[in-house]
Amino acid sequence: MGTYLVRRAFHSFISLAGLLVLVFFLARLTGDPTNLYLPLDATLEARAEFTEKHGFNDPIYVQFGRYLVQLSQGDLGDSLMKARPSIDVVLEAFWVTLSLAAVVVPIALIGSVVVGALAAYRPGGAFDRIGTIAALLGASAPDFWVAITGIILFSLTLGWLPTSGYEGNIVYWIMPVTVLLIRPFGLLVQVARGSMLSVFSSAFVKTARAKGVKERSVIFVHALRNAMLPVITVAGDQAAGILNGAVIVETIFGWPGVGKLMIDSIFNRDFAVLQTSILVTAIAIFTVNIAIDVAYAFLDPRIRHN
Amino acid sequence: MTTPTEPAAFIPPPPSRGLRLLSLLWNDKFAFMGAMFVLLIVLFAVFGPMLFGDVATKMNLRARNMEPFTLDKGWLFFLGADALGRSILARIMVAGQNTMAVATSAVVAAMIIGGTFGLLAGFIGGWFGNVVLRLADMIMSFPSLLIAMIVLYMLEPRVENLIIVLGITRMPIYIRTARAEVLEIRERLFVSAARVMGASHWRIVGRHIAPIVLPTLTTIAALDFAFVMLVESALSFLGIGIQPPDITWGLMVSQGKNYLQTAWWLSFFPGLAIMMTALSLNLLSNWVRIALDPVQRWRLEV
Amino acid sequence: MKWTRALLGLPIAASAFALMVSGGAEAAGKIVTVVLSEEPDVIDPCEATRSNVGRIVKQNITETLTFIDPKTAKISPKLAIGWKQMNDLTWRISLRKGVKFHDGADFNAASAKKAIERTLNPKSDCEIRLKMFGNVKMSVKVVDDYTIDISTEKTQPILPTMLGTMTITGPNMQPLKGDRQPVGTGPYKFIKWVPGQEVLTARFDGYWGAQPEAVGARYIFRKESAVRAAMVKAGEADIAPNIALQDATDKKMDFGYFNSETTRLRIDTSRAPLDDIRVRKAMNYAIDRSALIGSIFSEDVVNMTNIVVPSIPGHNPALKVWPYDPAMAKKLLAEAKAAGVKVDTEIVMLGRLGIYPNATEAMEAMHAMLSEVGFNVKLKMVEVSQWVDIFTKPFAEDRGPVLQQGQHDNNNGDPVFSVFFKYACDGPQSTTCDKQVDDGIAKASATAAGPARSKAWQDVFARIHELAVDVQMFHMIGYSRVNPRLNFTPSISTNSEVHIAEVKFN
Repeated sequence: MGTYLVRRAFHSFISLAGLLVLVFFLARLTGDPTNLYLPLDATLEARAEFTEKHGFNDPIYVQFGRYLVQLSQGDLGDSLMKARPSIDVVLEAFWVTLSLAAVVVPIALIGSVVVGALAAYRPGGAFDRIGTIAALLGASAPDFWVAITGIILFSLTLGWLPTSGYEGNIVYWIMPVTVLLIRPFGLLVQVARGSMLSVFSSAFVKTARAKGVKERSVIFVHALRNAMLPVITVAGDQAAGILNGAVIVETIFGWPGVGKLMIDSIFNRDFAVLQTSILVTAIAIFTVNIAIDVAYAFLDPRIRHN
Repeated sequence: MTTPTEPAAFIPPPPSRGLRLLSLLWNDKFAFMGAMFVLLIVLFAVFGPMLFGDVATKMNLRARNMEPFTLDKGWLFFLGADALGRSILARIMVAGQNTMAVATSAVVAAMIIGGTFGLLAGFIGGWFGNVVLRLADMIMSFPSLLIAMIVLYMLEPRVENLIIVLGITRMPIYIRTARAEVLEIRERLFVSAARVMGASHWRIVGRHIAPIVLPTLTTIAALDFAFVMLVESALSFLGIGIQPPDITWGLMVSQGKNYLQTAWWLSFFPGLAIMMTALSLNLLSNWVRIALDPVQRWRLEV
Repeated sequence: MKWTRALLGLPIAASAFALMVSGGAEAAGKIVTVVLSEEPDVIDPCEATRSNVGRIVKQNITETLTFIDPKTAKISPKLAIGWKQMNDLTWRISLRKGVKFHDGADFNAASAKKAIERTLNPKSDCEIRLKMFGNVKMSVKVVDDYTIDISTEKTQPILPTMLGTMTITGPNMQPLKGDRQPVGTGPYKFIKWVPGQEVLTARFDGYWGAQPEAVGARYIFRKESAVRAAMVKAGEADIAPNIALQDATDKKMDFGYFNSETTRLRIDTSRAPLDDIRVRKAMNYAIDRSALIGSIFSEDVVNMTNIVVPSIPGHNPALKVWPYDPAMAKKLLAEAKAAGVKVDTEIVMLGRLGIYPNATEAMEAMHAMLSEVGFNVKLKMVEVSQWVDIFTKPFAEDRGPVLQQGQHDNNNGDPVFSVFFKYACDGPQSTTCDKQVDDGIAKASATAAGPARSKAWQDVFARIHELAVDVQMFHMIGYSRVNPRLNFTPSISTNSEVHIAEVKFN
């Protein structure tokens, strides 16, 4: 396992480097920030001077070279818009998103496996029907729609929850977490249900039943263990989605997370912030993926890492 | 289904495969309704723009945000009118085409390409598997919004380009799922047996492994369908998706969000269309899963 | 089944917490919470012309030498108590005595000079310099402790008006832009900024003027207008400047006012068929402005005939609004066609997402109206960066005919901030070129403030109107929502400045 982890880390490092190169060049295809940074009324000279000062008119490989030199000195560059080191800006935002993900993903994972398993136990039964439809409706509701309706209902009409805000108090977490939870939960229930169905009809569950193993342990030990692979894979995908894509929840509820930061930096062409935030979230996502592969091996010892 | 008056000796000729599936579908009322709804949407998508294209773009500021559930202005205005006084029902029917085109193409492309790469990565493994997986990692950690921004900045925010964006960003999940399933199946007894008996790699993947992986992938694809429609909507919300005068359900939802407090129907009905389509497809895919599984099929035959 | 029990317990716990929170809001007392649409990237006073910085900083933390009243466009003393033009190139400014900066430094001629030089430092990209003083070279000389001379290369007849945008920062601020501790002379001093969350200010005890009622202000940021409106309604915020028309549904809390923004479609007169005046007039006749008012636009917007709002001296009230006359539009198009103008050419209507509330719908509606009379128009909505690319020079040589959605804000007291940029041959955003307009601009710019200057501008506006170089739209209305616990009426200035000192409590 040790050597495996080292090798995976090395591979991830290579992908990370590839990713950064890709982002560097692709981001610059969307134009330079001069127009966005300077007021409309800025003179042509002021524009030229600005472009010159920040090196946006150098050939792109020269800009890339400069970036590499900076990187080699451990400098990820300053945010053009915010005039601060980009890493500071990104880390502030990253913890906000990470804390959201850390709450949402475990709830979605555990909840959906339980619901999915119970649904699959009697396909077509009442629990299955209601559970499936509820999960699907949840998974296919537009999140900004749910979020704004939630604010209107729970904050304005009922007055139970604050409209928005990022503060320590748990009430501020309820709506963002719920909105963020609905879709992964709905998806995972479906995946868990489907995967459990296959396992229930497979030979070894029948064998277990025939051997007289208790029904509850058939479901939650024998079957679940085998049904977990696709569930974990999809959960990983959803976790990645939250890490770099909780934009809408962050925007509406005013949470200063990394998803919002990233989209702002794309709109502002604030390249240093964009590159650094992709670097940070990519490291997080790669870590999640490695953890998933380790979980595969743990759940199914037949899968060898070689 | 036999009645006492029928002679017991009468044995019906074995129904064709298609008919048998249809009767299985009829037996599952939820799936049947799902199938009907999908059919309706397909009809909208094919004929909507032809029949209602003009009505859907006809502006009438006097009917701005007209309330739903009245027939005063004709059945087309049963679901109300949008901020420019255009029939919401007509717009939903017309937008069905773009919406379906985007979602179907993106999901199918992602599933086929991603699924194939995932199968091969799992089965062959080695450096090939690693390269495929690392690519999947890269796409996964590349914010889809940035891809969208780049493609839509350099090309136009049109349906084709949106398909490319969404297709690419959805691929990793199929790669990773297919690979994960293969890793498990590869070790099962019958695959080892086939291998010992000297079956070629292609044969093992095609005949033995793909059929087992496929149901999981279709379940995910059916779910992804809704997801893609919603991502498309979110892109419009953020201002980088399809732009007027083109319409999709997602765009309608996102334009209507400004009026959630005053005219909820603007975003509710297109949102409902997305939800119903997703629901129908999933009920249908659950049914397909059971109908094609010899061990489970009995559940539908009662 | 523990999970279900836990889930059932949630709503009860939630309502209990909600009670605690609403109790806390009342205890907030005389701190004014302002919810803004966008967090500033830097809170440097030399960026105060950006509205997200200006709303926090301007006249709250830092003050200006002169003050432009946005309602009347009159200038009044602020940190300067008098000004006099010594000769064509020099103005003498007398400064207020007994003013202290928040950090204890004295406000005097030396610190005023330092502040102006900081803002105009070419190394800094300060927006005030780039936007207001881009074409102006000036130097400051200390005459005595409370008098400075400002000399310019060219004559600047309205320099005192221009100084209304110049924020005076403390002499101990770091010389380049990007200081995160803004220091000024205003009634509120900066306390702290938690990025992504809030900016806090508190009343400055050493303020030279009257002590305001509010003890401090808290600025928070929410992008969605619906959320900002909801926050004021729920009592979580006191002032939400700039909410959308459809969210301004409560007459008791919502205030509409002219926000000094003027909207139009810019016609590129250098490209056929838009170079033909009949085509341009036909466009103006084709728009049913009264159908747009009260539906997509507020019922209180006013048809524009000048690019500046009526309060700016030089606005020409004699110009007539284009009537809605589709028959006339069709007739003019037919005439142009008969004269060999290719009126069937596809014309792109280029809109910018979110440039003002309901911007996309407005473009869709006008697209329908222009198509109705027979124009071959194609709608294209783009994001800011692409829009700016096409809006400002250098223009692409191979461009086709474009109608571009635009909105212009002039609350700086004189048409010079608008007309040269938009309509002169060399104007950075001008798609038109007319000798009479250029001569008029030169004449008006060189005339001293007063009736003669106003008259000169009115002539320029008459010529611009005659040329029909814009599809004219509206002087816009902005909406702000104010919590009834405050006695505060938002006005035209709320668009760029929120004067916390004017807030009283009921």
